[in-house]
Amino acid sequence: MPITRRGTLALPALALAAGPAAAQGAPVKVGVLLPLTGNAASAGNSARAAIELATELVNTPHPELASMPLMATAGLPNLGGRKLEAVFADNQGNPSVGQNQALRLITQERVVGLTNGYQSSVALTASAVAERYGIPYVNGESVATNLTERGFKWFFRTTPIGPDIARVYLDFIEEQQKQGRPVGKIAIVHENTEYGTSIADTIAKEAEARGRQIGLRIAYSANSADVSPQVLQMKDAQPDVAIFISYTSDAILYMRTMRAQGYKPPILIGDDSGFSDDSFIQTVGDISQGVINRSAFDASRPGSNSNKINALYKAKTGREMDDTTARMMQGYLVMADAINRAGSTDPAKIQAALRATDLKPDQLMIGYRGVRFNEKGQNVLASALLVQLRGKEYVSVWPEDQASAPLELPFKGWS
Amino acid sequence: MILAQLVLNGLLVGAVYALFSSGLTLIWGMMNVVNFAHGDFVMLAMYVAFFAATLLGWGPAAFVPVAAMALFLLGVLVYLMLVRHVMRGPMLAQILSTFGLALVLRYAALWAFSANFVSLPEDLTGQVVTLGGLRFEPSRVLAGIAALLVTLGLHLLLTRTALGSRLLAVAEDRTAAMLVGIRPDPMQALAWGIGAACTGIAGGLIALFFYVAPSVGESLVLIAFVVVCLGGFGSVPGALVAGLAIGVIESLSAFWVGAAFKDVVVYALFLGALWFRPQGLLGKA
Amino acid sequence: MAMTASRGAWGRGVAVLGVLAVLALAALLPFALQDVFHQRIAALVLLAAISASAWNLIGGYAGQVSIGHAVFFGVGAYSALLGYTLFEWPPIAGAPFGILISLVFATIIGLPTFRLRGHYFSMATIAAAELVRILVVNWPLVGGAVGLMGPAVPRSTLDLSFTSPRPYYWTFLGTLTALLLVTHWMSRSRMGFYLRAIKGQERAARSLGVPVQRYKYYALLLSAGFTSLAGSLYALMVGFVDPDSGFGILISVRMVIITALGGVGTLFGPLAGAVILVPLEEWTNATFGGAGTGITYVVYGFVIMLISRFAPGGLAELWRRLQAAGRRHAA
Repeated sequence: MPITRRGTLALPALALAAGPAAAQGAPVKVGVLLPLTGNAASAGNSARAAIELATELVNTPHPELASMPLMATAGLPNLGGRKLEAVFADNQGNPSVGQNQALRLITQERVVGLTNGYQSSVALTASAVAERYGIPYVNGESVATNLTERGFKWFFRTTPIGPDIARVYLDFIEEQQKQGRPVGKIAIVHENTEYGTSIADTIAKEAEARGRQIGLRIAYSANSADVSPQVLQMKDAQPDVAIFISYTSDAILYMRTMRAQGYKPPILIGDDSGFSDDSFIQTVGDISQGVINRSAFDASRPGSNSNKINALYKAKTGREMDDTTARMMQGYLVMADAINRAGSTDPAKIQAALRATDLKPDQLMIGYRGVRFNEKGQNVLASALLVQLRGKEYVSVWPEDQASAPLELPFKGWS
Repeated sequence: MILAQLVLNGLLVGAVYALFSSGLTLIWGMMNVVNFAHGDFVMLAMYVAFFAATLLGWGPAAFVPVAAMALFLLGVLVYLMLVRHVMRGPMLAQILSTFGLALVLRYAALWAFSANFVSLPEDLTGQVVTLGGLRFEPSRVLAGIAALLVTLGLHLLLTRTALGSRLLAVAEDRTAAMLVGIRPDPMQALAWGIGAACTGIAGGLIALFFYVAPSVGESLVLIAFVVVCLGGFGSVPGALVAGLAIGVIESLSAFWVGAAFKDVVVYALFLGALWFRPQGLLGKA
Repeated sequence: MAMTASRGAWGRGVAVLGVLAVLALAALLPFALQDVFHQRIAALVLLAAISASAWNLIGGYAGQVSIGHAVFFGVGAYSALLGYTLFEWPPIAGAPFGILISLVFATIIGLPTFRLRGHYFSMATIAAAELVRILVVNWPLVGGAVGLMGPAVPRSTLDLSFTSPRPYYWTFLGTLTALLLVTHWMSRSRMGFYLRAIKGQERAARSLGVPVQRYKYYALLLSAGFTSLAGSLYALMVGFVDPDSGFGILISVRMVIITALGGVGTLFGPLAGAVILVPLEEWTNATFGGAGTGITYVVYGFVIMLISRFAPGGLAELWRRLQAAGRRHAA
């Protein structure tokens, strides 16, 4: 590749004659680490389609999305219209493989930046390689707090993390209390890998800080064949609010089992992940009416960027974009925007551009209050809202100023 | 009341475990072959059920036999093309080959069907019956009854028929069986076919109330290994007893000890049971 | 007869020289590999060979097919990073404790499992390993489900945290050499003789007066110690461990697969298996992984199946067949 580039430089007349296509030069490569096989393959492959879409949108003009950076133009304008290329690598959900692939992308594919990772464990080990090599890394989805507590200079994260999420839930619960709904007894049911445990811990901590008790906490293994004992435990304890932190397979089993055991919590909140997955809606959506879900991606408002992106994604894959996928895509777009603002493929300049990132809500495809990184690399404007399942679609219901439909309680479930 | 419901749920799950394990114990016990691809056999059967139900609109009465037949063929093929050649090597070669097979099946499924979770239409999975205050899904009861029937059928086949005695003779001593005129290869191919067909029945029925995904076999296979070992390798009634026992133990321990620890209880009891019965609950010493 | 004796002495000399030459070549390999990714794969091959060779002591030589060796691997990895997390030790300082704890674990695990035979033993070791994994997942002191991190940036060279894979490669090469020397010595000693007897016919060995239980324990302890060391080295290189990457059942299965692929109960079998399998994993993943269709594992699984189909005894069997063919040819 470098040879061709030098070739065009040496023959400027020829390049001019050949027109803009030749002047663009080689595409700018960004490495994308995803779990394309293994337990999280479903999430990884959804994200892969979304990032392919994002690359297409950057590389071709899309005036209808002009409020977002890079959409109206073709390629990266500040780099002479060079195209963006996503180089995908499968981390197999394994921290060591993630590290290998990060090294391969950096040293063999010569990517200018890395994105994603999905599992916090993979993001953790892969970003350590990026840090050593001085390559910027943008993560849009992993929630483990410690990722941005390591003093890394090349790691940036756009997603809301545990404390942000816990705040949303507790604010919501307190508001329901003001409206006269009983919320005294809160249950947390969480899968017991890093994701479920860390989110559950943060919610419990936040609740305690506000003088509330978590009345029932159930940890379970996501690959259980049967979840009925947990449902019976809840049926026995009768909590006012139940928060589920689950992956897709277990979220499906919980809804089926709750129906089989005839149990409905008055307020049922699913924490993103499994409850966001389009597979969840397709398989058990009919018996999960009124499930409340944490999300930053509200595609229900016509004319919004989210709505348009979702339509494009649906045309490409036949599925609704879920929140996790959207957050991953947003992280990738932030990287693309930084490369363009850097006007260079020099990692240090991209790092500086990432530090200077200041995206406004209307420049995003997702409902954050913006993207601006603090000195640790965490997006301080990340936020989440609550959506509720109506038919086969999630609509935003809370906070009220961002709601597109009124909140409906209690949880309806099945008819 | 909750206790009764817990035990009932445990028994219904246990029946699934037993059903799931019956084919495994046959192959494992008869041929001393660990089939690491067992979970993926079940997964394929579940996809057969899924496509028959969604594309052709079939009910379980039609797709369960089809899944059984499809898996019978797969079992025979796997024996003839792979296992037969591997059995002359050390036991580890079988682990190697069936592990490779498991990966090929699981990821060929991912390739063909995508990694997304799907499930059978709600009208097949949906009903709930209440009886004397206890709630259960008819589909699970159906699976439980099938588990009993399959166990009984296999048991009768092995103990009461000429075919069964031949199968057992080959399993007992290949050379001696050859001396009395039994050709071992067709017998063992048949055993693989029958074992896989049981797995097909299991997969077709489990699809009625479970999700379907390429990774689904992986999450069920370990418990099947424990069931088969606890029951005693090759003991079909043993797998039934062990499956039901583990179902109930899981259900009760998840409720009282905590769902995250239910497998600790299961594995600890399993090790304890082997201490007293090193050949499994109903296995031959 | 005289001929064979002199050829034996002569052959031994040639063999020692040959091994030294191969070792020297192996030590120089990282200089031949300019690409750091390839250097890293070379290091990973050796790491996989260490844990598989360690497993081979009990699973191959003694014929006790453990599918629970992740326990020792995990203990090693966790010990290295726990010392850092709790007391800010350099990770390598935790390795001896890992070995110690693994020996204790091995003693405990041997108690109920050595009474069992064949598949019952294998299943019991799986159960024991899963038990430990679940307890670790639910034990916050050792990081729970989140796992443990090493030093994010090296504080001193004592942390043995390098950007280049080369230092790891040489560390692993040294460890593997030591392990193979121990294995070679063991297989030649009385212990090797006893283990072969136990593997062949345990009851017969017992009736001939072989202290079966004791020698099985020796093999397990030796195996557990080295597996734990492999775990510590893994943690050193990757800088992170969680319950799945330390205690997951796939860690155990991989040791078995690599050894079976190379040749069970042979000195160089596990190394040969690792030389094939690890680059195969990396190549399939680098080539097909990005497409997200799972072809990685279809190809990978298919190659494993082919090898087991045509050489059930592993590469060692192929090697012997080739040698035999060569001899026939020469004659």
